[in-house]
Amino acid sequence: MAISVADYRSLSARAIRDGIARADFSACEVAGAALAAIEAIDPRVHAFLEVTSKLAHEAAVRIDALRAKDQPLPALAGVPIGFKDNMNLLGTRTTCASRMLADYASPYTATCVGRSLAAGALPLGKLNMDEFAFGSSTETSCFGRTHNPWDLDRVPGGSSGGSAAAVAAGMATVSLGSDTGGSIRQPASFCGVVGFKPTYGVVSRYGVVAFGSSLDQVGPFGRSVADVATTLDAIAGRDPFDCTSQECATSFSAVLDAGVEGMRVGIIPAYLEAKGVEAEVVVALKGAMDRLERCGARLVEVELPNAKAALSAYYVIGPCEAFSNLSRFDSVRYGYRAPGARDLGDQYEKSRADGFGPEAVRRIMLGSYLLASGVYDTYYYPAQQVRTLITQDYHRAFEQVDALLAPVSPRTAFKFGELADPTAMYLSDIFTIPINIAGNGGMSLPVGRGEASGLPVGVQVIGPQFRDENIFRVAAALERCYPEIERLAPAVEGVEGGEA
Amino acid sequence: MYLTENDVRGIATYARIGLSDGEVAAMTVDLNNIIESLRPITEYDLEGVEPTFHPIAGLANVMREDAVRPGLAHQDAMAIAPHVESGAYRIPPILGDNGGDR
Repeated sequence: MAISVADYRSLSARAIRDGIARADFSACEVAGAALAAIEAIDPRVHAFLEVTSKLAHEAAVRIDALRAKDQPLPALAGVPIGFKDNMNLLGTRTTCASRMLADYASPYTATCVGRSLAAGALPLGKLNMDEFAFGSSTETSCFGRTHNPWDLDRVPGGSSGGSAAAVAAGMATVSLGSDTGGSIRQPASFCGVVGFKPTYGVVSRYGVVAFGSSLDQVGPFGRSVADVATTLDAIAGRDPFDCTSQECATSFSAVLDAGVEGMRVGIIPAYLEAKGVEAEVVVALKGAMDRLERCGARLVEVELPNAKAALSAYYVIGPCEAFSNLSRFDSVRYGYRAPGARDLGDQYEKSRADGFGPEAVRRIMLGSYLLASGVYDTYYYPAQQVRTLITQDYHRAFEQVDALLAPVSPRTAFKFGELADPTAMYLSDIFTIPINIAGNGGMSLPVGRGEASGLPVGVQVIGPQFRDENIFRVAAALERCYPEIERLAPAVEGVEGGEA
Repeated sequence: MYLTENDVRGIATYARIGLSDGEVAAMTVDLNNIIESLRPITEYDLEGVEPTFHPIAGLANVMREDAVRPGLAHQDAMAIAPHVESGAYRIPPILGDNGGDR
């Protein structure tokens, strides 16, 4: 029995693995269905920058060989996965959606990618993003924008917009993204999927092109909390190639049925009244609060008095770290090299001006200014002091509660070009940025459509540092309260073919 | 206004990004707007607050033994360079036209 494209698109990671184990279908048939889904749907969504059909088939052959020999199947056996295009995978380009790296062939494989593949996942390809992850809409990709599968006239969010859209459209079962200020959680919210940014250090950053090294963290997308947990279990833990990665003994999949009876879940009253937050976002959040309470959680009001300083601290720290990280693009060792330079200095300037897009140039320039002698003491040092205050806010809050419930984004997905002013775009991350500043984990969980926009809305579940299992317990319980939720985006329904 | 167009030219030179006059003008407007939005950071009472340069306190770096092991091979590193000659990076003259390739 084969697997149809329609069936494939609605199956969970677990169902795919179990289906292969029972020989209901083969991994090669799953790969075929996934690639057929991409062929049918991606021309409208443009989530993929590169499709790795050959790598997917080779991985599927290995899984089918295990099955044929009755050997145990690993956790992600036969599960189609996509990777944000800032993650190296041998045999693919890693472009960061930038002209600077348009021809960059991955010289090695990132740890998070390698671990997904070691767990049996089938690599479908590389996913679109804002250039170098600078943005919240995937509009700054130099290879063209990605469309939100719920409404093709709208952005998927960003910067991991391709990772969210590929899963929402049912092309990939799971995907990996990276989150520096909300780049997993905000697109997950905009595309109606689950997206998780772990505590800083849970997942290795080795082989992921760096943006803000003290803020960046890799995490999974999926259409269910269980799929995200299974993927995180496969990629988490210490890596000798990333000295900030930590041992992780927790199985996130194992806590999903634990329930929230007796858990204390914090709510932040100021977030419900914050300026610029759309009413439907507040309604969705209150709905989630009510459901959690009915599940036996106790809601506790907590204060995060310094949260409002997080945005300005982030737009100091982020560009400074980006300026430093992007200084490696020198047009000599790798990356774009402008022709016709008269000397080396001229080659640097021409290559970096032509290779980087406008938002990347803006952030490099800003970081360069903020780190200048004399300016450093006005912005960078105070921003790191503010970081202490924000971190202390969370430590204090988590003395009272086991998890926090908050909005993800002040609004649902916006239209292309709607937020053309860079500072307006920056505001779309006010609820996600503080978590990166403090280093905690946070998940965006879809809770249905906004009553005004009809577009997906997510709520954010935040946990104490290295207690990410709390987030999975709360999110899994909450997910069970929304059995009616649509898992696949409707705007791309009916475009796929029949049997693969 | 925090930055003049001349300041922005200086920053661009330091960041090794060549900007045209039109780009400098637009960048000056953008940077001034962004820096203005960062003002809250300058208005906090931060007397006696220690800075946090890393989000997770109390962790030790994960170190591995300093042992010789295979790394990125020379030919693989060179394979991704835009211009290679005789197994080395080829660059234009460092000192400009008068420096020359000798």
